[in-house]
Amino acid sequence: MSKNQLVNTHDHSKPTSPHLQIYRWNISSITSIMHRLTGVGLYFSILIIAWFIVYYTYSFGSISDQKSCECTTTLILKALFFGAIIFVIFSLYYHFCNGIRHLFWDIGKGFDLKKARITGYLVLLTSLILTITTIATTIYLKLF
Amino acid sequence: MKKIEIAPSTKNGFHHWLCQRVSAVALIPLIIWLVLSLIEIALDPEGYLPVFFAYPFNAFMSILFFSTSLYHGSLGMRVIIEDYVNNKAKVHFYIMLVNFFSITTVTAVVLAILKLHLIN
Repeated sequence: MSKNQLVNTHDHSKPTSPHLQIYRWNISSITSIMHRLTGVGLYFSILIIAWFIVYYTYSFGSISDQKSCECTTTLILKALFFGAIIFVIFSLYYHFCNGIRHLFWDIGKGFDLKKARITGYLVLLTSLILTITTIATTIYLKLF
Repeated sequence: MKKIEIAPSTKNGFHHWLCQRVSAVALIPLIIWLVLSLIEIALDPEGYLPVFFAYPFNAFMSILFFSTSLYHGSLGMRVIIEDYVNNKAKVHFYIMLVNFFSITTVTAVVLAILKLHLIN
């Protein structure tokens, strides 16, 4: 009975594969889902950056003429913007490192459970350190 | 008990897998170039940013970067859409939407980079 119900829930459609709620979290599933999330984030941020370059090209010289005011909305928008930038920086480093890990898996290296766990933690640690270094250097050099 | 109906294979899964890996390998040097040139821009924003695309190497690498990353991105978005959307018509619609946005964005940004490259 229960098997029948399971099969008949979505007729003629394939089952949705990576269930997020019913499995216990471990380092492999966390790195996997973060790879997907950062990938989607990077895709949309590249779209935004590309269209910003297009906008900058065809409105040359008029882009820095906007007056800045210290209203609450501007401050909130600025905070959101910096949050988004930190997310994009982290996403770039993380997707880069974990992508290299995936490429090593594809040539058949580091696929056993112990090594996969170690490299998972290593990828998380490396991308966090790189993100913190980038932000610290930017603040230290007073670039923004 | 009713048998689960599995969608027939479209026979292009391996090609998709291979294209994703090849574009991933191609993106490694492009990302390193991107990070290095962002550091260069951050060190001298007023002087370097307006003439950034005037350098042939920067224009070349940025066009390669945008085309490769959006290609890799649309391949990845296709996998995610196929995994999480379970309505077949919606899957095809979203994949076409992603491809549409990728192609239009690549065309627009390549034109913009060429314009910035040629006017400087």
